[in-house]
Amino acid sequence: MSITEIMNHSVISVRPDRTLRQVKEILRIKRISGLPVVDSSRKLIGIVSIEDIIKALEGGYIDDTVENRMTKDVVSIESTATLKEVIEFFEKWSYGRFPVVDGEKRLVGIVTKNDVMMALLAKLGLVYLHDERRREVLDSPEYFARSLLTGERLDKSGADFYFSIDYFDINLAGVGASKLRQFLLSKGVDEKTARRVSIATYEAETNVVIHSGSTGAIYCFIKPESIFVRVEDTGKGIEDVELAMREGYSTAPDYVRELGFGAGMGLANMKRCSDNMIVMSKVGAGVVVEMEFLRGREAKG
Amino acid sequence: MKISEIAQRLGLEICCGNCEQEVFHGCSGDLLSEVMSHAKPSSIWVTVQSHVNIVAVAAISGIRAIVLCNDHKYPQETIVKAEHEGICLLKTNKSAFEIAGLLYSIGIKP
Repeated sequence: MSITEIMNHSVISVRPDRTLRQVKEILRIKRISGLPVVDSSRKLIGIVSIEDIIKALEGGYIDDTVENRMTKDVVSIESTATLKEVIEFFEKWSYGRFPVVDGEKRLVGIVTKNDVMMALLAKLGLVYLHDERRREVLDSPEYFARSLLTGERLDKSGADFYFSIDYFDINLAGVGASKLRQFLLSKGVDEKTARRVSIATYEAETNVVIHSGSTGAIYCFIKPESIFVRVEDTGKGIEDVELAMREGYSTAPDYVRELGFGAGMGLANMKRCSDNMIVMSKVGAGVVVEMEFLRGREAKG
Repeated sequence: MKISEIAQRLGLEICCGNCEQEVFHGCSGDLLSEVMSHAKPSSIWVTVQSHVNIVAVAAISGIRAIVLCNDHKYPQETIVKAEHEGICLLKTNKSAFEIAGLLYSIGIKP
């Protein structure tokens, strides 16, 4: 993973002829704790942090220019660096942020510890096949070991596809469903079926992230006649499944709705896309959704 | 119709993606579930949502281009993800209503 994937591209910087008082205002308004200083060609020439501002207030030189008071030998990272190198930088230096520069020392971004953490979390969400954890999850004796649709014992370790929904960031929702779509297409499943499966799985995955308050998993079995998907979580569960199935009924929080989720259509959408669907839930014990998609059919109206 | 032709005729700004792809249908909406349930494959989507998840919705639904209206801006992570998924991102200062009307008038089907 390269640094350009984790860094913040829209970095706020300041010119050297500004005053520390102006910097203080930028830090306050933008709610950040440091600013790289650049010259007219965007070359990095220094950095000012909130510590410098505190010292300036104490020392009575808050109206001095940035140029006179900035840290000049600023530690920066080249934009060709890898995530591993970034982590080493944070270990080596105790700074909270590093400006990222191109080959000509021009500022192209900034990276904080939080950016690194978010990148690692995103990466974890993408680990979906053939790792140690897969076996652990799949082999543990579980509360839900039987298929709801067929009543058969479900051999989850024999799943053709497995994805662990182990993130809580709503922005990542759909990673598993996207992976599943690519996986189905690579296995020669027709485009229309793959689309239905991935839309329904997307909704189920999003529900786990928004509502369960826990992690979850997606299992998919490819059969000659159909695709079988099971999405489960161990979260707080649904109190009234029938009510939850009703189109337009939603318990999503406002911040989620602002992003266009939580319209109360998820379960209804899943039912429409699949040919058979069962939702099982017990309050406090999580939710299991099983869906069957007959291959080569159009979605229902 | 090619996305590049639509962009040119409607004066849309191209932010990223392959504009030589063809789209035949249009859809509009800001509720992701609604869009996923109604969008046809090879569609252009008119919306005011710009957060990164619209890319997953587009990729899953077979939407090839997104038009962001009312002069909203795409966050950098949305652009990075769209480039990765091959989704074309367009933007405009016009409203969703106006863009939908213009798309319809040049022959994009519902």
